[in-house]
Amino acid sequence: MKHEPFVIERTYDAPVEKVWKAITDKDQMKEWYFNIATFKPEVGFEFQFEAGSEDKKYLHLCKITDVESGKKLRYSWRYDNVPGNSFVTFELFAEGNKTRLKLTHEGLETFVTDNPDFAKESFVKGWGHIIGKSLKEYVEKKF
Amino acid sequence: MRRDVFQAIATPTRREIINLVAKQSLNLNSLTENFNISRPAISKHIKILTECGLVVIKQQGRERYCEANLESLAHVSQWIEQYKVFWTNKLDALGNFLSKEPGTVSKPAIKKATLKSIKKNRK
Repeated sequence: MKHEPFVIERTYDAPVEKVWKAITDKDQMKEWYFNIATFKPEVGFEFQFEAGSEDKKYLHLCKITDVESGKKLRYSWRYDNVPGNSFVTFELFAEGNKTRLKLTHEGLETFVTDNPDFAKESFVKGWGHIIGKSLKEYVEKKF
Repeated sequence: MRRDVFQAIATPTRREIINLVAKQSLNLNSLTENFNISRPAISKHIKILTECGLVVIKQQGRERYCEANLESLAHVSQWIEQYKVFWTNKLDALGNFLSKEPGTVSKPAIKKATLKSIKKNRK
């Protein structure tokens, strides 16, 4: 019954420095992640961004808690006006010229689900749109 | 007041109660025997669990039995599943970005090192 954090791993054919830059440089983050006005990989730095579906956006509030340059980045992740808090950790491991990225998202169970504004459908829809359409179009257009 | 499956499993005592009644239905006395806390305290946890829908009280003769109703636990895995979809897509997008991003870091790094060794060799 213990809450195991959500973990996902990927290995990228790119050196650690490049992956680190992609997850900490706002101009690069904008291309695959979210459009964040300002971002500095420093403990205590707070940033926010809006994400969701076209009709309903959620303001995501984040605060950096751990930074080990080129190795680890951890920040809190919560939603404006929604109870609960979670933590996202990116860890990078050099494997030859490749980089293994381990992403951990802890505390997901702290978010309320019986709030209709925060229902499953709107999330999946929102993310599906951002990732499946907007991002894909952008990436394909650009390159 | 917040009453959902997440609230239900928020404390170790309630998680243990769920574990116990998941194996067999128990009355309050038998349940209390498994813990070092008072009967009223257990009763309070049971109340929360029933309000959250994870435990159902069934009257059997003079006894009231606590029975597990674990369907709602599926909400937890469903909730986590959304994030799985989200992060899978995001990390795929990162992979696409990394492979297409023109300003690679690795090439200049190799070039610099090669240049250095060439310079050394020239000296």
